[in-house]
Amino acid sequence: MVVSMDVHLPEDSELTVNEVNLSTSTLLAGAFHLGKYCENANNEFMLCRMEEKDPRKCINEGKAVTACTMEFFRKVKKSCLDEFNQYSNCVDKSSGDYSLKHCRKTQGVFDKCVFEKLNIERPAFGYFCEARVHDSKRPKPLEEPKAVYPDATPALPEDADKKPARFGSRFYWMTE
Amino acid sequence: MEACQVARKQDLPPPGGYKPIPYKRVPAKTFFSGYTMFAGYLGITAAAAYLYYKNYKQITKDQIEMRSAKMAIFPMLMAERDRAFLKQLRRNREAERELMKDVPGWEVGTYYGEKVYNLLPPDTLVEPIYHEYYAHSRPYEWYQRAYLKLRS
Repeated sequence: MVVSMDVHLPEDSELTVNEVNLSTSTLLAGAFHLGKYCENANNEFMLCRMEEKDPRKCINEGKAVTACTMEFFRKVKKSCLDEFNQYSNCVDKSSGDYSLKHCRKTQGVFDKCVFEKLNIERPAFGYFCEARVHDSKRPKPLEEPKAVYPDATPALPEDADKKPARFGSRFYWMTE
Repeated sequence: MEACQVARKQDLPPPGGYKPIPYKRVPAKTFFSGYTMFAGYLGITAAAAYLYYKNYKQITKDQIEMRSAKMAIFPMLMAERDRAFLKQLRRNREAERELMKDVPGWEVGTYYGEKVYNLLPPDTLVEPIYHEYYAHSRPYEWYQRAYLKLRS
């Protein structure tokens, strides 16, 4: 494997947290409110992940994301469990691809409950497909500096004598 | 010669003469005139285009909704995946060290001390290719992951 002993890998104890143990239909049913509830943590993590391009550097942000997700689903379980179960059951069983379009009625009930109990509104249509601006406190990673090759051929000096070309242009129909 | 003198009957047209030869065209029955057909074509095409447009809009909306939902849960899945991935990398490295400990000169992650990537700084994490990642697992697990699409 390409990972040698020089590469620092975090210990298992650093990586072990309570994982979100939920099925796809459950996650998709709660997706919009989850995204709104954990927007800051999610943006922070995704920005880190895209900027650093290294999973090792974003472990804490990732833990924050998972903790936030757990917190959201705990809250939903406490306040809107029946509505949520109804909705996720509908999402699970109405189509083969967990399509949300078949479940507008149960979705309405769930939305209402979440809005009343947790005060989270369903975000506008296509909200998570839009580009978002996130202001992070994490410093931006340094860009890779331009490579300098010590044995490169030196350029012409500024005041070098630049004579006109002897045979005109190099375009093939103009030579000769 | 007597036998040959049979009264011959000449082949003649039927009384009243032959029927006239039907050489005139018999055109098929026309249900629509040309103008009506063109108008019908345009009308049906326009109606179909309208329906197509409505359906297209609806499908695009549904796709955007599904994409939104998936993007909302993506960070959580990514965080989980990263942790599992790093754990597995450590496990793989330990497995390789255990497997190759009797081979003199073998260094983990290199080919007898020869690095794979010479220009990268030593602490760069290069994600291993699929076959390396599954090198120490059972073939069944490799297969299960590789053909997940076919099996689901």
